[in-house]
Amino acid sequence: MPVSRITQRSLSDTTLRGLQANITSLQKLQNELSSGHRISRPSDDPSGTGSAMLLSSKKAADVQYLRNIGFANSRLQTTDTTLQALSNQLRSARDLLVQSRNASLNTESMTALAQSVEQIRNEVIDLYNTRYLDRPVFGGTVAGSYAVDPSTGTYLGDDQPVTTRITSESTIRMDVRGTDVGADTVPASLDLLATNITGTGATDADLTALDDALSLVAQALGDIGARETRVSDAESVVTSHKTDLIERISENVDIDLPETIMNLESQKVAYQSALGAAARILQKSLVVFLS
Amino acid sequence: MSGFSGLNTGLTGLAAAQRAMDITGQNIVNANTEGYSRQRVELATAGTSSSATFHTGNQPVLSGVSVETITRIRDSFLEAMRATAGARQSALTTEASVLEAAQQLLSEPTSAGLQNTLDAFYSSWHDLSLTPTDDAAGAVVLQRAAAVTDQLHSLVSNLSDEWTTSRTALDGVIAEANQAASDLAELNAQIHSNVVGGRSANDLLDRRDLLVRELGSLVGATALPGEDGQVSVSVGGVTIVSGSTAQELTLSGAHDISAVSADPPTILWNSTSVPVDSGQAAGYLAAIGTDLPDLSSAVDDVALALRDAVNSIHQTGYTRTGATGTDFFTGTDAASLAVVPTAPEDLAVATAAGVVDGSIAAAIGDLASDDASSAALSGATGASELWRELTTDLGVRVQSMAASVLVQDSVVASAEDAVQSSSGVNLDEEMTNMLLYQRAYQASARVITTVDAMLDTLINRTGMVGR
Repeated sequence: MPVSRITQRSLSDTTLRGLQANITSLQKLQNELSSGHRISRPSDDPSGTGSAMLLSSKKAADVQYLRNIGFANSRLQTTDTTLQALSNQLRSARDLLVQSRNASLNTESMTALAQSVEQIRNEVIDLYNTRYLDRPVFGGTVAGSYAVDPSTGTYLGDDQPVTTRITSESTIRMDVRGTDVGADTVPASLDLLATNITGTGATDADLTALDDALSLVAQALGDIGARETRVSDAESVVTSHKTDLIERISENVDIDLPETIMNLESQKVAYQSALGAAARILQKSLVVFLS
Repeated sequence: MSGFSGLNTGLTGLAAAQRAMDITGQNIVNANTEGYSRQRVELATAGTSSSATFHTGNQPVLSGVSVETITRIRDSFLEAMRATAGARQSALTTEASVLEAAQQLLSEPTSAGLQNTLDAFYSSWHDLSLTPTDDAAGAVVLQRAAAVTDQLHSLVSNLSDEWTTSRTALDGVIAEANQAASDLAELNAQIHSNVVGGRSANDLLDRRDLLVRELGSLVGATALPGEDGQVSVSVGGVTIVSGSTAQELTLSGAHDISAVSADPPTILWNSTSVPVDSGQAAGYLAAIGTDLPDLSSAVDDVALALRDAVNSIHQTGYTRTGATGTDFFTGTDAASLAVVPTAPEDLAVATAAGVVDGSIAAAIGDLASDDASSAALSGATGASELWRELTTDLGVRVQSMAASVLVQDSVVASAEDAVQSSSGVNLDEEMTNMLLYQRAYQASARVITTVDAMLDTLINRTGMVGR
C-alpha cells in the first residue's frame, strides 16, 4: 500500500515497531547466551528437538549398557578365577591319584590320601557353589543359592542361560553351565576315587574321569576368556558411541558461543543506531522552527 | 450593494479564520488521541443573491465566506481493511499464546521431560534383570513407574487447567463484546439524533469507529454503513447490532476438556450457532475446540502405548513366588494410568515359575528402543516415539503460528499506516494551516480597517465645503 502522507504518529509507530523488533532479537540472543542452549522449547527447532530427544534416549540406553557390561565383566571375572582354582584342585586330585597307584604305600598313607581327596571334593563343591551377588555362577536360573548340594554333592543347577544386553544389537551369556565344567559328575567321581584308594585302588576310569573334567574346565576357561574379550570390546564400542552421542546432542542443542556472541554484538549495534535515528527524527517538527 | 457590505464581508472572513483556527487547534491537541480522525473546515463563498441573473440584470451580491461544513477525513475502505487485519491478528495471537503455554508444559527437550523419565523407567528394569531377587532394584522399578504415571497425570491435568483458563477467557471476551455492542447501539442512537438535528457528530463517529474496531478484534465483527451515519455490525453473517438495538452473544458447550467431543463449545446468538472465524474469540475457540483436546488425546495415546507394551511382556512372566504376571499398568487414559504391582515380589521378572531369572525384566528394559516397543505392540508405534512425534508436531505448530503472527503483524502495521496516512494528524501541516489562517485573519481585519477608512472619508470628510 503506497503511503503518501506521513504523520508524526505513524513515524513514531514505525520507530517503535523497529525498536521492538530489535529488542526482541536481543532478548532471544540473551536467552540463548545465558542458558547455553539453542533449543529451549520445541518451537525453537522442532526437528532439532525430535533428534535431541532421540539421541538423549539412545545415550540413556548406552549408559545402561555400560552398567550391564560392568556387571557382566565382574561376574565373568569371578567365574574365571573360580575355574582356575577348580582346575588347580582337580590337578591336585590327579596328583593324589597318581601317588596312590605307587605300590610301596602302606594303608595309613592310603587313608591319608583318601582323606585329602575327600578334602579336595569338599573344596571343589565350594568352588562350584561360588556366588556373585548371591547367585551361584554355575547354577543357571536355579531357585536356591546352591549349584551343587553341599552335603550330597548332587548337581542342582538347571543349565538355563543368564544373559544381559551389552549393546543395542547383542546380549551376552554371563553364566557357565554346571554340566560344562563337571559340576554334575566331579563330586561323585571324587567320592568314588576316595573309596577306591582305600579299597581296591584307583582305577584307570578314575584317571579318565579326572582328565575329562580337567579338559572340560580348560575349555570353559577358554570360553570365558573369549567372552571377557567380547565384553571389553563391547565396552569400548558403547563408550565411543556414547561420546559420539553426547557430541551430537551438544551440536544439536547447544549454542555456538563465538557465533552467538558475534550476533549479539551486531544486534547491539543495530539497536543503538535505531535508538540514535529515533532520537534525531522524532524531536524535529515545524513547531521548532516557527516562532 | 451597500457601502457597508464590505465590513460584513470582512467580518465573515474573521469568523471563518477563527473557526478554521479552532479546528486546527482541535487537530493539534488530538494528534495522539486513539481513533481520532483529522477534521477540515470546508469554506464556501457565501450569499450570492438569488435574483442575480442575466435576465433581471441585478448584480450578484457578494457577502463573504461561510463555513460550509467540518469534514472528518476518513477512508472507510482503509478502516475496514485495518479492522479485518486486526481481527485476524487477534485470532492468531490468541491461539499462538495458548499453544505456546501448552508447549511449555511438555518441558522438552530438558531433563525434566517425559522422555527422560521413560528412559529411567526402562533402565531400572535392566538393573532389576541383573539382580532379579534384589528388593532394592524392584523398589526402584516401582518408583520409576510411579514417576512416569505422575508425570502423565500432571501433564493432562495442566492441559485441562489450560483449557479451563482459555474457556473462562473466552467467556470474558464475549462479555466484553456484548458490552461493546450495547455501547455501540447507544452511540448509533446519539449519532442518529445529532445528524437529524443537523449537529456535528464527528467525535461520536470517532468513538463509534473505535468500538467497531474493538468488536472486530474481540469477535471478528464487521461493520456495514447504514442510514444517518449509523452502522450495523455482524459476526459471521449474523447481525448483532442494528441501529440502536444490540443482541447478546452467549457461549455454550462443554465446561470440561473431556466433554469437548460430545458437546463442542459454540458461540450462540439466540440459540443459533455463530461461525466466528476471527478475533480473539476465534483463537480461543480453536484452542478449546480442537488444539488442547487433540493434544490431550495424543498424551492419552502415549500412555496407552506404554501400558500395552509393558503389559504384553509383563503378563508372560512369573513373579518370584511363581505367580503368573498380571498387568503392570492399568487405566484407560493418561489421567487414570496407574501401576498395579505394589511390592517388588509382585514384579513378573522370570520366564518360568520357580527359577531366578531376569529375562522378562530385561525384555521390558529393551522397550526403550523404538523397534522393540513397536514389536511388543504388534507393529503399532511405541510410547517414546509417539511422545517425540507429539512434541515435534506441537513445536512445528507453534513455530508456524509464530511466523503467521509475524506476517499478520506487518499486515496490520501497513493497514494502520494507510489509515494514519489518510486520517492522522500531521503537525507540520497543521502548523502551516495555522499560519495560513492567521494571515487570513490579519487580512480580513485589514479589509475592515480599510473599509472603515473609506467610510471615514465618506462620512467625515465629504460635504465639508464652505464649513
